[in-house]
Amino acid sequence: MDETKQKILIVDDSEMNRSLLADMLGDEFEIIEACDGIEAVSNIRRYGVDLSLVLLDIVMPRMDGLEVLAMMNSYKWIENIPVIMISSERASAYIARAYELQATDYIQRPFDATVVRRRVMNAIMLYNRQKKLAGLVEEQIFKKKKEQSLMFNILSYVIEYRNGESNTHLMHVSTITDILLQNLLKLTDKYKLSQQEIALISGAAALHDIGKIAIDEKILNKPGKLTPEEFEIIKTHSAYGAEILSSIPSYDKEPLIRMAGDICRWHHERYDGGGYPDGLKGDDIPIGAQVAGLADVYDTLTNKKSIPHDKAIDMIVKGESGVFNPLLIKTLKWVANKIQIDVHVNASIGNTRKEVARMARNEISHGELTVSKRTMELLDRERERYRFVVSMSNDIFFELYRDPTIITFSEEGAKKLGVELSVKDPANDIKIISSFGKNNIVMLLELIESATHENPLVSYECEIKIGGVLRRCRITVMTQYLHEEGSDEYEYYSTVGRIEELKEEPQI
Amino acid sequence: MNTETFYNMIGGDYNGIMGRFVTEERVLRFVRKFPADGSFAALKAALDAGATEEAFRAAHTLKGVAQNLGFDALYEKAAEITDILRGGNLDVAALMPGLEKSYELVVDGISALD
Repeated sequence: MDETKQKILIVDDSEMNRSLLADMLGDEFEIIEACDGIEAVSNIRRYGVDLSLVLLDIVMPRMDGLEVLAMMNSYKWIENIPVIMISSERASAYIARAYELQATDYIQRPFDATVVRRRVMNAIMLYNRQKKLAGLVEEQIFKKKKEQSLMFNILSYVIEYRNGESNTHLMHVSTITDILLQNLLKLTDKYKLSQQEIALISGAAALHDIGKIAIDEKILNKPGKLTPEEFEIIKTHSAYGAEILSSIPSYDKEPLIRMAGDICRWHHERYDGGGYPDGLKGDDIPIGAQVAGLADVYDTLTNKKSIPHDKAIDMIVKGESGVFNPLLIKTLKWVANKIQIDVHVNASIGNTRKEVARMARNEISHGELTVSKRTMELLDRERERYRFVVSMSNDIFFELYRDPTIITFSEEGAKKLGVELSVKDPANDIKIISSFGKNNIVMLLELIESATHENPLVSYECEIKIGGVLRRCRITVMTQYLHEEGSDEYEYYSTVGRIEELKEEPQI
Repeated sequence: MNTETFYNMIGGDYNGIMGRFVTEERVLRFVRKFPADGSFAALKAALDAGATEEAFRAAHTLKGVAQNLGFDALYEKAAEITDILRGGNLDVAALMPGLEKSYELVVDGISALD
């Protein structure tokens, strides 16, 4: 057996026909033969995706070719192994059925050496190209999702830092929203949502509390109980959030911003109409806002108030923490375990991977022509989001990658610091050293180095030249790690950071 | 007897098979394997046993092999029988002598090949 040769499975009940096909295909393939459908299936199971192609006769004893094809469909083997049917059957019903069952091509008897070779090569090439394309799309979407989650992380600093909370809440809400929506669709066909829409909603869900930046910090972070007046002020954050988003010029064109606007405005509505700001009732509340609202409540209980998972679920189910759509409550009970695992074991990277694979599958099934257009739209949206997040803040944002070490600044940030947008080996870059100071940049890199997946946050105060003037700054960085599900290994992924000018005198 | 003469004698398509098989070496190699193909014997046995499905499959295989090898006369007779058997009808006795004659002509011709 030659491991480097592509394997082709030839299934035909006639030894003569099998050896004829094998002979026509020549030496560059490793040929595996099966004399009926049963042998074909056992070979497909044995070799799996090591098979580059199956040549499949239709009329055979024990199990015929169409039955093999049907089985390849039910177990989804057909998605990874192309099949060319062989037969002298001219009956169009057979051919139509074979194509219906996702056969790639059809070779008629009598065999022609040139045609057989050409068809086989074409089918293999087409399949490889499709697989490569699927991989490319997946990679692009993953990259986009990665950038998106970086943006959300930065945004969570901006908002949650101000609220004096942990920065995991927004990511949790996003993850829980995704889980709830995926499973809500399994429970009912009442809500028609595509995978794209689900991704949109769970992404937008992370922006639900954006309106809190319009609330006085003293009230927002007040220790102890709020007065009724203060509570009324807090409640305005949902309408403020929607207002901020609707004032973005591309609000009408950008589904994400519109969705985020809906979620901001209505995530505190109640299913019985007793919520705010509009007192919407039942499914007048957009489903995205309903789900994000529930995700927010769950994570507020477990993450902010440290109530154990089981107790939190119980409280929500009993209606002690708001009134929700009964279908959503049913979904929550159903997937409570999954939520607990995904959120608390922090498999956000794994979720992204899964979601990406799902989205990529959708892209491919829509045909390759829509892919580039769709990708362009995603990139446009990404730029939109980035500009929006950065424009909300005077701070300087950066990302750091390793192997090789590259630091990338936000556009404004690079200008203020007087450094290039992307810098390789920053500890030895003259402009970086001139603005950060050699000691500070070395210290910062060492601190990032010392972060672990358990303690991914590092904060460091120092003086940095901003606009040519030395300023007291706080640098806060968070390092992300890749974690394969079921593995103990955490692999360094990238670091995001913020440089914030400290207005007051430095604290000792 | 050379290959072309053989094909003419059995009512086959020499030019056709040369076009499809590309080399005469390949044609001869597979033609010489034909007597070992069991589908003709299997067809007769299945008909004797009254086994419709087996008879159909054997006739179908014989048809396919004959077609691939460019044994046109044999192919046509096998195709006719296959179509009858496909419908579950075992009544092909009238056609069998013609098929057998054609089959024997091919097998005899092969033994007389250079």
